[in-house]
Amino acid sequence: MKSFGLMPAGLLCLGALLAPVTAVQSGEYNLTVDRVQVDTGSFTRSGIGYNGATPGPVLRFEEGEEVTINVTNNLSESTSVHWHGIILPTDQDGVPGISYPGIAPGETFTYRFPIRQSGTYWFHSHTGFQEPDGAYGAIVITPKKREPFRYDRDYVVQLTDAHPHSGDRILRNLKMSADYYNRKQRTLFDFLDDVASKGLDRTLADRAAWGEMRMMPTDIEDLQGFTPLINGKAVSQNWTGLFTPGERVRLRFINSSAMTYFDIRIPGLKLTVVQADGNNVQPVTVDEFRIAVAETFDVIVRPTEDRAYTIFAESMGRTGFARGTLATREGEEADVPELRPAPLLTMADMGMAHEGMDHGSMPGMTHSMPDGTTMKGMDQGSMPGMTHSMPDGTTMKGMDHSAHGGMAMDKPDPFYAPGSGLSPTAAEPGGKFLSYSDLKAQSPLYAERPAGREIELRLTGNMERYIWSINGIKYEDAEPIRLQYGERVRFKFVNETMMTHPMHLHGMWSILDNGNGRWNPIKHVVSVTPGTTVYMETEVDAPGAWAFHCHLSYHADTGMFRKVIVEGGPPEKAAALTGVSGG
Amino acid sequence: MNGRFLAIAAAALTLLAACLSIARAEPYVWGFQAEQLEYRAGTGDDVAAWDFDAFFGKDELRLVWRSEAEYETGEKNFESLQNQLRLQKPISDFFDAVAGVSVETPDGYKRVHGVLGLHGLAPQWFEIDADLFVSDRPYFRFEAEYEGLITNRLILTPSVEVEVPLVDDRFAGRGAWGPKVEIGARLSYDLVDRAFSPYVGVHYERSFGETANLKRAEGGDADSLFLVVGARLMF
Amino acid sequence: MNFSCLSRTAAGAAFTVAAVLAAGPSSADMGHGSSKGVGHAGEAAKATRTVEIVMHDNFYEPEKVDVKAGETVRFTVRNNGELVHEFNIGTADMHRGHQKEMMMMVEHGVLEPDRINHEAAKAMQADMGHGMHNDPNSVLLEPGKSGEVVWTFPEDAVLEFACNVPGHYEAGMQGQIMIKH
Repeated sequence: MKSFGLMPAGLLCLGALLAPVTAVQSGEYNLTVDRVQVDTGSFTRSGIGYNGATPGPVLRFEEGEEVTINVTNNLSESTSVHWHGIILPTDQDGVPGISYPGIAPGETFTYRFPIRQSGTYWFHSHTGFQEPDGAYGAIVITPKKREPFRYDRDYVVQLTDAHPHSGDRILRNLKMSADYYNRKQRTLFDFLDDVASKGLDRTLADRAAWGEMRMMPTDIEDLQGFTPLINGKAVSQNWTGLFTPGERVRLRFINSSAMTYFDIRIPGLKLTVVQADGNNVQPVTVDEFRIAVAETFDVIVRPTEDRAYTIFAESMGRTGFARGTLATREGEEADVPELRPAPLLTMADMGMAHEGMDHGSMPGMTHSMPDGTTMKGMDQGSMPGMTHSMPDGTTMKGMDHSAHGGMAMDKPDPFYAPGSGLSPTAAEPGGKFLSYSDLKAQSPLYAERPAGREIELRLTGNMERYIWSINGIKYEDAEPIRLQYGERVRFKFVNETMMTHPMHLHGMWSILDNGNGRWNPIKHVVSVTPGTTVYMETEVDAPGAWAFHCHLSYHADTGMFRKVIVEGGPPEKAAALTGVSGG
Repeated sequence: MNGRFLAIAAAALTLLAACLSIARAEPYVWGFQAEQLEYRAGTGDDVAAWDFDAFFGKDELRLVWRSEAEYETGEKNFESLQNQLRLQKPISDFFDAVAGVSVETPDGYKRVHGVLGLHGLAPQWFEIDADLFVSDRPYFRFEAEYEGLITNRLILTPSVEVEVPLVDDRFAGRGAWGPKVEIGARLSYDLVDRAFSPYVGVHYERSFGETANLKRAEGGDADSLFLVVGARLMF
Repeated sequence: MNFSCLSRTAAGAAFTVAAVLAAGPSSADMGHGSSKGVGHAGEAAKATRTVEIVMHDNFYEPEKVDVKAGETVRFTVRNNGELVHEFNIGTADMHRGHQKEMMMMVEHGVLEPDRINHEAAKAMQADMGHGMHNDPNSVLLEPGKSGEVVWTFPEDAVLEFACNVPGHYEAGMQGQIMIKH
């Protein structure tokens, strides 16, 4: 059992010989958790990896397979492996303190779970800051049925934001001084520029407004100074995927960053998004897309010219970029674009642009309908994709004709506060930038039905103290969220902070309400931008205890985290749970 | 440092431990920040000075060791030397309440005070300390500091400190209601992250009222101006 | 442009969309039957054979069709998928032009993922003066529906059959037509 990929096939043959009747495949995989060197070209540091490398190997599974994964901890500290986006029994989820105690130094833990899905996922440590320190890898699951798209080659394109400081040190610095890593703050020269362009009065008023709040419009990336990597390779190391002109190439983008969102484009190529978070979506062709931390997007490109193309991934705050290359031969390179100017947050991102219009943070002002139901989703007046969803799942037709049509190219993205500084635009003039509204499930996983209840989760924090929380309460002080097996629950995220939070529920799917009704996409991460309210629904079909948190490492660790307990469930399911417990 | 100081320190640590044990496991954070670590050359004696905080704790409570000193290099004596152990507890989004003990042990006298204060960030980014030093010789001290970014690494930090004795304390050079004012401006450059930021600047001190009279009686000047060179540290 | 209404199929839901806006030079050849063009609408009676095309999400079965130069072929098309799909014969350029119109239909709510909104189509027609038309080289099918295209192929051309519902072509819902001599 030296390498991946060999063993499952081997076992398969063995299985076929011994028990030709059984159709269940099973594969056994080995992972070691090791101290490794991270070399980004710009710095070298000690980190954590799998099987001696970071990123770890690409685990290739097949839908329907029963996998056994032996994880050996070669570190001098405890570790864990979480299978991000994989639907599995609660005790296989790999979250210390919730699923199991973790894996002690020198110990081998054996995970066993069935693969009941397909697509692109990833795995990472859920212990301390081992993931930012390099403990991550990709998972690719081949479906049983033919996929609703065609490609000739596929590549994993896994992004990260490697930092010269260890995770522990970063958190300590942030706690000491929340702007420790912010080197994009506005300076005297920005002040003078603003005075020249806007006049002294307006500039002073602007500075006074931000100063009054003690917030910074430049506060987009808490953690700067990182080196973005593609598959572990920096700009100079140039990860390259080969193609033959005319081929369709599937790129499996995974954002394994600790803190960084990326805006991704390949100048000269259209990107057809076919999968989000491992689930097929109705194909949508764009010029550029933003990938939140922990999300995955699979795109198909079809380069027809015999030349190289640059995969360009700018951080959302424009403090760094990763690049890779699609080339017809090794060593070929294409032009690398310049970083675009850094965005600035606006008062809209502070939830203040439409004071009095935004009812999201004013529970008392929620509109009640004559029948007593609540018009949920009225919070954002200009969110066509989300505005008119009724609690029963129907859509108020006639009120907004664009709700079904997807995004026209010149319309602002409804998943950003109107006037938001973060609202993305394509680098390509007139180009199309993917919006959450564009995502429609290729084949809905669940029948549409109204959610039984709504749970409001206000995303809260204190930037200056670097404390992040939900409903103003940190994880350590919070009661678990209790769900009942079999119910469908609607989560309402109200982002009261100025940061963007990628919310990740373990164990169950997050059905993003983007106004597409029964085609609402099925995700495992839902990104909530500043000053907005976003809804997702979950079919509560997995008993046990699960983690639910912001996937920004330093937000999760400082308190934007909840334990979810799913109560009830069929006894046979509970029995099955104990039956698959690992070693 | 004297035994009294250590006893008080031990008591404060015990208190801190008691407070922390109430909360559930969360990693502690610690840090060291020296706002001033500098050499002052000026009209009077040259002075080596420091002003640093070392802290340990968590979000709900921090224990801070604050040390401030001015050492006259010519006379080889501490003009001022103050160590405080301060417990800081958040009371609002941007402010902490402070309670602690202060021990002054410069050459010539010793003083122990209880400290009650506020520490935090005021609107428009002013970093504020307001402390009442409580004993039979109480005094009040207010400090404000502002970081003006010329670039993201070249930073001009003006600061002001006002100390107002509430009663006479002649040995400590404090005359009732005679303020002592320090004004500074330091131009620093973040050379290594924010860990090491060397600076140059000016430091001006002036006493008023009875405090000024005491200073003159000792043969000193009521005001002095220094050029300073030093470094800010944070790790 | 030649808007032939000949090949309206029995299936009520079968529609095609006219290339009203982006009438490219290649589509202007349509229906003239020139040997350099893409061919023209054929008469069912003259069809030499029937080729069955099954639509899935999002691909065809088969993905390659061989025809003889000048041959008239009757394509029976069945949508076995969950989404609306199109079967459209043309050049890659024609498909590209057509995709823009299909996008407009989506934006106007005419084309929903799994149905054709006829109300919205009428509104679009009223608003913009154009909307849904029948085109002999294509058929647009809701899930479960069937349709037919009868086409006379030219002597020589590089043709594809494709689904121009936004995103589908790029995802690979496209087949090759090989013209053999």
